[in-house]
Amino acid sequence: MSSPDSPAADPAAAPHQTEIGRRSDFVAALGWIALGGAILFGSWKMDRLESQDVNPYTVPGLLPGLLGIAMMLLGGWLFLRSWRRGGHESSTGEPHLSRPKISIRQLSLAIGLCMTFDIVLIGHGLPFWLAAATFVSVAILTLQHSQRKATGQRLTLRALISAVAIGLSAGLAVTVVFQQIFLVRLP
Amino acid sequence: MLVGLSDLGHAYLGVLNFWSLLFGLGGALIGVIVGCMPGLSATLCIALLTTLTIKLPTNDAILILICSYVGTLYGGSRTAILLNIPGTAANAASCADGHALALRGEAGRAIGIATSGAFTSTLFGVVCLAAFTPALAEVALSFGAYEFFWLALFGVVMSGSIVGDDPVKGWLMGCLGLFVAQIGQDSLFAYDRFTFGIPQLAGGIALIPALVGAFGFSEVLITLADPIERKIVEMRDSVLPRFREVIQYWPTVLRSGVIGVLTGLMPGVGEDAGAWMSYAAAKAVSKEKELFGKGSIDGLMAAETGDMASIPGHIIPCLALGIPGSAPSAVLMSAMIIHGIQPGPMLMINHPQFVYDVVAMTTLAMISILIFGLFLVKPLLAVMRVKRTILMPIIFLLCTVGAFAGASRLFDVYCMLAVGIGAFFLRRRGYQMAPFVLGLVLGGLLDKSLRRGLVLSDGSLLPFFTRPICIGFASVTIITMMLYIPPVKSLIKSVTGAMGRKLRASATL
Repeated sequence: MSSPDSPAADPAAAPHQTEIGRRSDFVAALGWIALGGAILFGSWKMDRLESQDVNPYTVPGLLPGLLGIAMMLLGGWLFLRSWRRGGHESSTGEPHLSRPKISIRQLSLAIGLCMTFDIVLIGHGLPFWLAAATFVSVAILTLQHSQRKATGQRLTLRALISAVAIGLSAGLAVTVVFQQIFLVRLP
Repeated sequence: MLVGLSDLGHAYLGVLNFWSLLFGLGGALIGVIVGCMPGLSATLCIALLTTLTIKLPTNDAILILICSYVGTLYGGSRTAILLNIPGTAANAASCADGHALALRGEAGRAIGIATSGAFTSTLFGVVCLAAFTPALAEVALSFGAYEFFWLALFGVVMSGSIVGDDPVKGWLMGCLGLFVAQIGQDSLFAYDRFTFGIPQLAGGIALIPALVGAFGFSEVLITLADPIERKIVEMRDSVLPRFREVIQYWPTVLRSGVIGVLTGLMPGVGEDAGAWMSYAAAKAVSKEKELFGKGSIDGLMAAETGDMASIPGHIIPCLALGIPGSAPSAVLMSAMIIHGIQPGPMLMINHPQFVYDVVAMTTLAMISILIFGLFLVKPLLAVMRVKRTILMPIIFLLCTVGAFAGASRLFDVYCMLAVGIGAFFLRRRGYQMAPFVLGLVLGGLLDKSLRRGLVLSDGSLLPFFTRPICIGFASVTIITMMLYIPPVKSLIKSVTGAMGRKLRASATL
């Protein structure tokens, strides 16, 4: 039943569903076991509300504890499977072959831009439309600059004006639609 | 029966006014546009629209959400056909045949087939929605804590098994979702669980920010990190819906419609399962098996009919049981709860008219996609040509607003960021988000049902396995998991192989 759907369904996972890095599964399995163990420990140490004469079958840590055990068991399953496939060996050379290529530079840039917007720009007194316009314009320029650099092109004045125009339009449109028309509060 | 028909009539009359038509068409248009953008899912679209429509009257808000749900899945077929990238996960099955037709210069024909298949199958699904939801809700009235425990667990296990390529990873994601749902005050004693003294965590991780992070922000990162920008196939022929081909391939349409609705009824399975199962069934009985994957009309029709018919199918358990059939229907269900409608067995008692209103809304959605399929082809192609470096910052802007708007808390925006970055790395390692979402939605129900059940039985586990409906759910859940354990799998293979050999031997004698 585990269908052929995912390769196409999830572009992030696309080409590596069947040949997912064994090493990565091995490391992840250890992470899942540790997480399950931590959840089980946290649930076990959780107050059982005995002072309130609570029925022992309704203690708050019951389901989280069971989930911790389930995670440890499933993590153990993943661990054994990846071990059998040689995941414990330090260099199988597979992960790089099987996982789709990503541009680390573009990724870091995207994460950095998004976090700057959410953590620094909004919620600190700057009007939302201005914060949004600044973010969108800077993000377009930076991401395009990164792509242009790779192909040896230079950033033009036209691209700069168009990025600022798109940023302003997006900031104002989102503010008007959400805040003025649909009465939704913005950060 | 007559009361039901009268309620249905009222529901149809209710959507026949200017504002409802405007909201319905607008929702479907937004859905189609989002569906056209590769990677942006129906879940994200509904989550963002939930925050946008939070101040609207209940029926108007749900109308927009249902129309956008149907529109997104329909719009996703465009991307599958013209770019060979599924617009949403449910359109993956359409990629091979749809894109092959496009490469042959028949992109318009492929889009026409997708439009007619989508319209016909949604119509079939709407009939099932109207017929089965009240009946299922009546059955569900006999459900107690034990049945709801199994139903919730069944949904997460099935979702983990079917969505994706690796059930172990699916179940792990389901467990993670169930665990995240436990964070915050517990429902029985208001005891803070895993909040680490952070007051904002007492209310738990809100569903909408988590979904926006898992499906929106992670997608922004995936798209921007991809070094290759896909090229769109030019379209030269007409996109008029091919109802002649619907008549020609009526067995495929009917079969896929039934499969779509049935897969929709199974909790947690998702629209893509409907599409793939219909595709596999069409291939199994087709006389032109060799054409599948190379531009088969039958294949494209089956895939599109299967995924669209599963939408009403998913709404049925969502309304009648309070158990969503897929990630988008989970958000739809949350939106209903936000607007004061509690889906579940009591829905037919507390809000009987609402079920029929949903039927009318889905019908309006179906008509909307036909209109957009006919008249908005060229502008929609323009949407697909927008560069990702322009589109993605705007999508992220909407993700931020979507995460914030529900409770007006910056904390939710930070949750969205954390979930999004986590989801990006998990997705790259082959972990699917749908079981996580199902876990997140069903975690509360599972916790409440388990503890209530244990109190009722005074700690005995027997009622969880001996009540008639529990026996069914428990057997399927446990057998599904057992089937993936290697020794059990090889044992079943050897037993079935031996039986097959005996049967063949007796047949030859």
